[in-house]
Amino acid sequence: MDPIVTVAGLTKRYRLGKDNYVDALRGASLEIARGEMVAIMGPSGSGKSTLMHIAGCLDRPDSGEVHLNGRRVDQLRGRALTTVRGREVGFIFQGFNLIPTMTALENVALAAEYAGASRRDAADKARSLLELVGLADRMRHAPTELSGGQQQRVAIARALVNDPAIVMGDEPTGDLDTATSAEIVGVMREINTERGTTFVLVTHNPEVAEVCDRTIHMRDGIVEAVTA
Amino acid sequence: MGVVRNVFKRKMRAFLTIFGITIGVFALVVMGGLAEKLNLLVDGGVDYYKDKVLITEGGSGAAVLGSSPITTDLVAEIEAIEGVELASAEVGMVLDDDPTAVTFGIPPMIVGDDLRWLEIPDAALRIADGRELTVDDSGVAVVGADLVAMLDAEVGGTIELRGETFEVVGIAEKTLAGTDTLVRVPMADAQRLFHATLPAALQDVLEPETLALQIVAYAADGVDADELATEIAASVEGISATGPEAFQAQVVDSMAMFNTIIFGVALVSLLVGGLSVINTMTMAVAERTREIGVRKAIGATSGAIMRQFVAESAVIGVTGGLLGLGLGWLTTLALNSAGDASATALFEVTTRLALGSVGFALVLGVLAGLYPAWHAARLDPVRALRYE
Repeated sequence: MDPIVTVAGLTKRYRLGKDNYVDALRGASLEIARGEMVAIMGPSGSGKSTLMHIAGCLDRPDSGEVHLNGRRVDQLRGRALTTVRGREVGFIFQGFNLIPTMTALENVALAAEYAGASRRDAADKARSLLELVGLADRMRHAPTELSGGQQQRVAIARALVNDPAIVMGDEPTGDLDTATSAEIVGVMREINTERGTTFVLVTHNPEVAEVCDRTIHMRDGIVEAVTA
Repeated sequence: MGVVRNVFKRKMRAFLTIFGITIGVFALVVMGGLAEKLNLLVDGGVDYYKDKVLITEGGSGAAVLGSSPITTDLVAEIEAIEGVELASAEVGMVLDDDPTAVTFGIPPMIVGDDLRWLEIPDAALRIADGRELTVDDSGVAVVGADLVAMLDAEVGGTIELRGETFEVVGIAEKTLAGTDTLVRVPMADAQRLFHATLPAALQDVLEPETLALQIVAYAADGVDADELATEIAASVEGISATGPEAFQAQVVDSMAMFNTIIFGVALVSLLVGGLSVINTMTMAVAERTREIGVRKAIGATSGAIMRQFVAESAVIGVTGGLLGLGLGWLTTLALNSAGDASATALFEVTTRLALGSVGFALVLGVLAGLYPAWHAARLDPVRALRYE
């Protein structure tokens, strides 16, 4: 197996108050192969989002190792962490999280500009990705003028714009109805198959997990089981 | 991207904040315009006095109605003093005796002099239309730029000065200095008009032909006008001689205080505007915490977040600045044209004032945005994303 993400012995404690803390991760370990599409499931507070954030360079572990696309990243901080995150990882969120004052095209192009693309290159890439997700005729629309499914397609295009090694979704279908949810997972699966982009989806939805290659089950801050 | 759209997304708040800056810049432009106009008058005075000595009667300052006003006979005596290039006698009086016409700045004056200064290169006023006076003229006038509207003057037409009719032969070019509110007439005419203003007792004693209010002595090249003033005061009896230093001391120094007060008041109102920008930007950062988290998640560096919020704050500052400049400038135009009838153009919005006030609004916007932007830039992306 050619791993794109390897995490070993991750711990993360969130301090909520003076003698009050939560151990979100208590030594989680896992490997994800290049080109895989995996689901992470588990009850609320099991640490699945924290695991995804750390593997995606949004957050740093208290201890443990993280390798992303052949590079150790758990020691990175500040700008170096931001750079890896911007180039290697794409994020999709439950609430779509598009920037409301920007059009679909601008939302997608923004991520490319943050990664250093010129305005023109960013717009070109954004255009071709919006075509890929089937929104060729919605590029100039503001997020409020788009349906939930369309907004999530924009978010998928945004996550892909810097050709990341891996796309991470935090409950990407959580705000969508069953039909739209299936449609969005279908789009991701298609991209996974055709472009070889790795997808890691944190989800509560068994139907999403069903489409994935493997499901990682988490409980109390550790990986409890992996099912195919 | 989308900096302007972000600012105007919350229309009411953006408007109120921008309006705060607008009021500050408006105050700065209007009050600064007043100060600039007075500064120009003072600069004109400094320039006028720099190589001259003014000789007036006595030392008491009660020059007009004193017992022995200076006369044109003194001109020759003063010219004989070493270091005096030339001396020129002048008579002047206010255009109107109307006590209700209180003016701020220099009141309109009728001035006549012997025109001997025409011999000094560069001393002549520029004439915008018509011609300069000559020594052979009589019953004619050259009108200062700010008095044209008030007197309804045009070259070839006539004007009334203290009950006498004068033909307008020239309109002086605008200098922005004291000369803009002068009507200049031949010496003999000014002497006659002035003589008529004197109390009867003095009219009997004084001959109009030798009347003079002051004599202007021009320092020769390389002669210090202040030293010359001392010299003249020592050698001629019953006069007071004032050099450029005295003007500097009396007017320029008090102008500096005036400037400080005026700009101080305007700056205070701008600072209040600046505080409201800080408040607005802090609220904007709080409201958009989640957006900041998203931006960071998709690869924004702290620097990019910082730049974005500073840019939004700068847009607020510049928009407010431009509106304030526009409003202030229109206001000064309106007030100046309302004052046209009495020749009281009190405001001058100079280029440096215009650029300075908008520039200040920009700097204020940037500074006010720094703290909220810094706060936004160092938000933890995970916490920001969870923020509801």
